[in-house]
Amino acid sequence: MMHSNLKISTILTAVLTMGAMAVFFISFLLAETEISLLITVALGIGFFIFAKNQSYFENMIIFSNQRPVFFHGLIIIIISLILSICKHEHFALFMIASVTLYATACFGLTLQLGYAGLTNFAGAAFLGIGGYTVAILANNNVPIILSVLFGGITASLIGSLLILPILRTRGHYAALVTIAFSLLFKTFLELNEFLGGPQGIKIPPMNLFGWSFSEPVLGGSFYISYVILSLIVMGVVLGITRLVEKSWLGLHFDSVRIDEVASSCFGINIAFWKITAFTIGNFFIGISGGIYANMLGHIAPTNFTFGDSLILISIVILGGIGNPIGVLPAAFLILVLPEKLQFIQEYRLLLFSILVILVLIYRPDGLLNRPLRKFYKEWGPPFIGK
Amino acid sequence: MNRTLLLLIVCCTCHFGCSSEENSSVKIGFIGPLTGGVSANGIGGRNSADLAIKLANSDPTKKNQYELVVLDDECKPNIGIQVATKVAANPNILGVVAHYCSAVAVGTVDVFHKFGMPMIVWGAVLPKITYGNSYPEVHRVNGTMINQNDVAAKFMVDMGYKTWVIIHDTTDYGKGHNKYFSESLEKYGGTILGSFGVTADQQDFNAELTKIKSLNPEVIYFGGITPIGVRIRTQMDRLNISAVFQGTSGIISDAYIEGTGPLAERTLAFREGDAAERLPGGSVFLEEYKKQQYSSPPEAYGPFAFAATNLLIAAIENTGSNRERITKYLNQVRNYDSVIGKITFDEYGQNMVPLITKFVVQDGDWVIWEQSEYKSGERNLSQKP
Repeated sequence: MMHSNLKISTILTAVLTMGAMAVFFISFLLAETEISLLITVALGIGFFIFAKNQSYFENMIIFSNQRPVFFHGLIIIIISLILSICKHEHFALFMIASVTLYATACFGLTLQLGYAGLTNFAGAAFLGIGGYTVAILANNNVPIILSVLFGGITASLIGSLLILPILRTRGHYAALVTIAFSLLFKTFLELNEFLGGPQGIKIPPMNLFGWSFSEPVLGGSFYISYVILSLIVMGVVLGITRLVEKSWLGLHFDSVRIDEVASSCFGINIAFWKITAFTIGNFFIGISGGIYANMLGHIAPTNFTFGDSLILISIVILGGIGNPIGVLPAAFLILVLPEKLQFIQEYRLLLFSILVILVLIYRPDGLLNRPLRKFYKEWGPPFIGK
Repeated sequence: MNRTLLLLIVCCTCHFGCSSEENSSVKIGFIGPLTGGVSANGIGGRNSADLAIKLANSDPTKKNQYELVVLDDECKPNIGIQVATKVAANPNILGVVAHYCSAVAVGTVDVFHKFGMPMIVWGAVLPKITYGNSYPEVHRVNGTMINQNDVAAKFMVDMGYKTWVIIHDTTDYGKGHNKYFSESLEKYGGTILGSFGVTADQQDFNAELTKIKSLNPEVIYFGGITPIGVRIRTQMDRLNISAVFQGTSGIISDAYIEGTGPLAERTLAFREGDAAERLPGGSVFLEEYKKQQYSSPPEAYGPFAFAATNLLIAAIENTGSNRERITKYLNQVRNYDSVIGKITFDEYGQNMVPLITKFVVQDGDWVIWEQSEYKSGERNLSQKP
C-alpha cells in the first residue's frame, strides 16, 4: 500500500496544523476584549500564511486520505478537548452548536445547489418547518428524537409541494419560486394562531432516554448536550453528503447540473434526480432546524425570514459551492464574526458585509473550492466536477 | 522553522495571560436593536443608558465605577436569545437593561430566568413579557399596551369621533394593539368599520387604502412601528384620504416626522409615562443628553432606558455584586423617583404606570396634547391645514 509514502514529518506537521486550527478556533471563540481578538486574528493569519508556504495543508489532506481512521480519531479527540476546556462557557457552547446546526443545514443546500444545481432560496423556511414541527410534537409529548426526524420528514413533504413549479421552471425562475415560498411561509406563520402567531411558540427542553437536556452535564453547561447531539448529527449528515458525492448518485447530480440536455440524451431522468436532491436536502435542513429550535426554546416567524435564507445561501457560496468541508469555516465566519463585532455596535453589520465582500473578491470561488473529481486514485482528468 | 513555532506558542500563552486580566468596574448589559428597521429607537435607548452610566461614574457618592456592555439583538428572536445567553452567562455582568422588540423579549425572559439574571425591559410593550410568567428576575419600567389603548380609545371617543378603521402590522406588537384597542373602543362606544392586517415589510398599501377610502372612516388607527407608519401616512395622502391618523407608541420617533415631512402634522399617538420635559428630572435628562453630543436623539423610549439603567445602578449600589440580592431589591421597588415618574413594581415586576401621555404632531414636533394648539382650539384635527 501507500503507507510507506507517509513520512513522519508529514504526520507531525499535519497534526500540528490541526492543533493550531483548534487553538485558533477556541481562542477566537473565547476572546472577549478587542485586543485579544485582534491578537488572535493576527496570529491566525500569520500561522495560515506560514502553514501555506510550508504546504502543511497539503500534508493534512494527504494524511487524511491515507490514514482516515487515525485522522478522524484525532478530530474526535480535538473536539473533546475543546469541549472539556469550554465546558463552563455557556455562550461559546451555544455558538458552537449554532454553527454546527447551520453547517448541517448547509450540507443540505450543498446537495441541492452544489451538486444538482437547484437554487433554493427558501432554506430558512425549511429550517422553520423543522423547528415548528418539533415545537408542536414536543408540546404534545412526542419523544424528541422522533420529533426531530419528523421535522426532517415534514420539511421534505412540504418541499414536495414545490417540486412541480421547480421542475417546470429553470435557473432564475426556479430560484424565484423558492423566494416566493420563503415569503409565503413567514406570512403564513404570522397569521396562524395555532402555531403561536407572530410572537412565536415555546418548546419544552429535550429529554433523551431520561437524559434531560436542560440540566448541566458532566459538571458543565447544559448546552454541552446540544453541542454533542448537533456534532453527531452533523457528522452523520456530512458523511452521507460525502458518500453521495463520491457515489454514482453524485455523478448523476453533477451531470444534471452541468448539462440537462446532454444528460437526458444519456438516459438520465432529470426530474427524478432533481426531486431526489431537493428532498434529501430539505430533510437535512429540517432536522437541523428541529434541533436548533429545541436549543433556542422559543421560535418566532422572524427567525425564518428571506434574509435568513440568504444567510444560509451565503454560507454555501462563501465556503465554495459544492464543497461540504468549506461550509464549516464559512458557517463559523458568518455566524461568529457579527457576534465578535458587537463592540462596534451599530456599525457591525456594515463591517461584516465589507469583510464578506473582501473574501469574495480575493477568493471568488469561496474559501475552499470543490476539488476535481478523481475517478482513480492516481489519475484524475477533470471530466466532471468544477 | 522551529523558532517561528516557538514564537507562536509563546505569543499564544502570553495572549491568554493578558486576556484574563480583570477589570475592576461593575458591568451592566444593554440589549436593543442597533441595526435594522427600528435601529433609531435602539440607538436612542443605548445612548440614554450610556448617559446614565456616565453620570453615575462622575458622581463621587457612588461606590462603584460602571461599564456598559452593549449588544445588538437586531430585533430578531434567535439573535436576541444568542446575546441574552452571552450576557447572562458572563458572571461579571450583574444586570441587564434589555429589549425594545416584544417578540425578542418574550423569548429571552426564559434565558434570563435560567441564569438568574436580573433584567429590566426598557421598551417592549407586550403584556405577556411580564404577565405571562412568574419569573422574579423580569421587570419592566414602561407600561403595557393595555393601558395605552384604553386611554387612547377613551380620549378619541370623548373628542366626538365615531368611526374607525384599523390597520395593524401582523407582528405581535401590531396584533396586540389591534386587540386591546378594539376591546377598549367597544367599551366606550366607537364603531370599527374594518380592520386590516399588513406584514411588517409591506411597501405598497394602495389596496388597503382604496378600500378604506370607500369605508370613509373618521379616524385611521395604526398599530405598528415607524417604517410602515411612514409609508401608510404618505400613501394616504396620495389617495386623498383626509381621516385623522392615530398611531401608537411605536411611531413616536423623530424618524416618523423626518419620513413624512409636512404630512406628519396632526398625527396623534399615545405613550405610557409622563413626557420627559414635564418632569423635574426629565429636563435634566434632556440637558445632559444634549451635553454629550450624541449623534442621534434619545427617541421616545430613551428616558425609559435611562430610568431602567439608573434603577439597576441603584440596586447594585444598595446590595453589592450579587445577582440574587439585586433581583430581590428590584422586586421591592416602590415609589422610586425617576425621569419617567415614580416606579412601582407589582408582583410580576411590571411598573404600574398610572399616566399615559397624549402626543400630537405640530409644526414638525411631537407636542404634548395639553400644550398643543389643537387642544386650545387654534387648529382643528379633522381639517387639513
